[in-house]
Amino acid sequence: MKTRSSREIRRDQIVGVLVFLTVWEITARFLDNKLVLPSVSQIMAAFWDLLISGELILALSESIWLLIVGLFISTVIGFILGALVARSRTAYWMLNPYFSALFATPTIALVPLVLVWFGFGFPGRVIVVVLAAVVPIMFSVASGLRDDPKDLVDVARSFGVKGELALLFRVRVRSALPVLLAGLRLAAGRGVVGMAVAETYLRLGGIGGLIKSYGSLFQTDYVFASILPLSLLGITIVSLIGRLERRFHWS
Amino acid sequence: MNVLYKPSVWLPLLSLAVVLGGWELVGRSINPLLFAPPSEVIKQFSAMIESGELAAAAKITMQALFLGYFLAVVVGIPFGIIMGVFDRFGDIMQPYLYAIFSTPRVVVVPLIVVWFGIGFEARLFLVFFWAAIAISVNTAQGVRHARPDLVEVARSFQANRMQMARHVLIPGAIPFVLAGLRIGAERAIVGVIIGEMFLQIVGLGGVITQGSSDLLPAKMLCAVVVIASMGTIIVTALDMLERRFQSWKGAV
Repeated sequence: MKTRSSREIRRDQIVGVLVFLTVWEITARFLDNKLVLPSVSQIMAAFWDLLISGELILALSESIWLLIVGLFISTVIGFILGALVARSRTAYWMLNPYFSALFATPTIALVPLVLVWFGFGFPGRVIVVVLAAVVPIMFSVASGLRDDPKDLVDVARSFGVKGELALLFRVRVRSALPVLLAGLRLAAGRGVVGMAVAETYLRLGGIGGLIKSYGSLFQTDYVFASILPLSLLGITIVSLIGRLERRFHWS
Repeated sequence: MNVLYKPSVWLPLLSLAVVLGGWELVGRSINPLLFAPPSEVIKQFSAMIESGELAAAAKITMQALFLGYFLAVVVGIPFGIIMGVFDRFGDIMQPYLYAIFSTPRVVVVPLIVVWFGIGFEARLFLVFFWAAIAISVNTAQGVRHARPDLVEVARSFQANRMQMARHVLIPGAIPFVLAGLRIGAERAIVGVIIGEMFLQIVGLGGVITQGSSDLLPAKMLCAVVVIASMGTIIVTALDMLERRFQSWKGAV
């Protein structure tokens, strides 16, 4: 099968976007219904308005902070539990079923419970992000550390690395790095969803809250203008980790 | 085989006993209504089964879920084949599908309200659209990734187009289509729950929202358990199907 060069693909895609935006603009002007389909220029105007009023920057920084804290805690918890599960059969059979169950449950269904149990301050929202993001990290740590890099461990031992903990961090973690990053990438994608869910559910702060409040005012142009940065945020984070993953792809 | 995977019956049972027992104790000593210990949940569960509330809710959820998923399969597979065969069209569509797919669905809810209202159609769309994207993107990938070695063999035996499709292209695409079906099903389940929690408060998602406003965690937990088991059964079944056909992908 013939393959097309990436330059050709890029060119087609740019033309495609231009055509798409033009068709959108014309359709929207023809429909002339800002509620159902705002035109591209109206969305741009709304975006500009959100940008210069500082509303968007504030909401985004709140969301990003929530995401950073949530992913950090998920990484710590996921790493500890994943390492336990990888090295001990008892831990594997005692913990794994719960994490499989958590993975199968839609995060959104857990949000009202978190609300009742922990309230919806910052801690409650962090818990939602952790519930969404911790499982892929834990699974990837478990599978990454389970494959024993026996030759590397032997070499490290003969060069005088002593103790299980030192071996864990200096050899095992490094050799499992690509797997760990893949887990982090999945977790970041789910974390963004968790963040949006937490913020939207109570119309409280962050970019999710912004979208929800404009949505209940039926200002569709502002809704579009605030969904766009959220999608970009998710895509950027995931592709950054993906790039890191390719860079460290040494195993 | 790694000793870690040696199955055990006692360890999960032991940990289940520890977790449920601990929860029961803690929940009872703090506030049994708010922390809903397992005994409370079981009581609530049997009450909801007896009153028929749970069955009615599950039926509403299943209707939107299965109809939406069925439509997604019917539309998604042909669309994916078109994207795979006309690769230029596929390349042009890719960015939009990717962008829509990676946008959290809760934030799209306000748009769905103005386009489809809050009723059955809105829920159907939440299920259908994202499942259809997952199915079509994976199908397209499968169509494109025909194994070059098999294509060559077929060519050298002078297979015509029909034979090529029948013996090489379609079997080669099946593992990818099945992966799409699984990912689509995961998406579909979350979609129907979002619709029921944020739009019209009905179905299993509605039970959760209702339990939240009545401050009845036991009720919410019942619905969560039903949703999670429903999702696990559907996804596990598709996962097994996917594994069964994994070898058709060939060595990559």
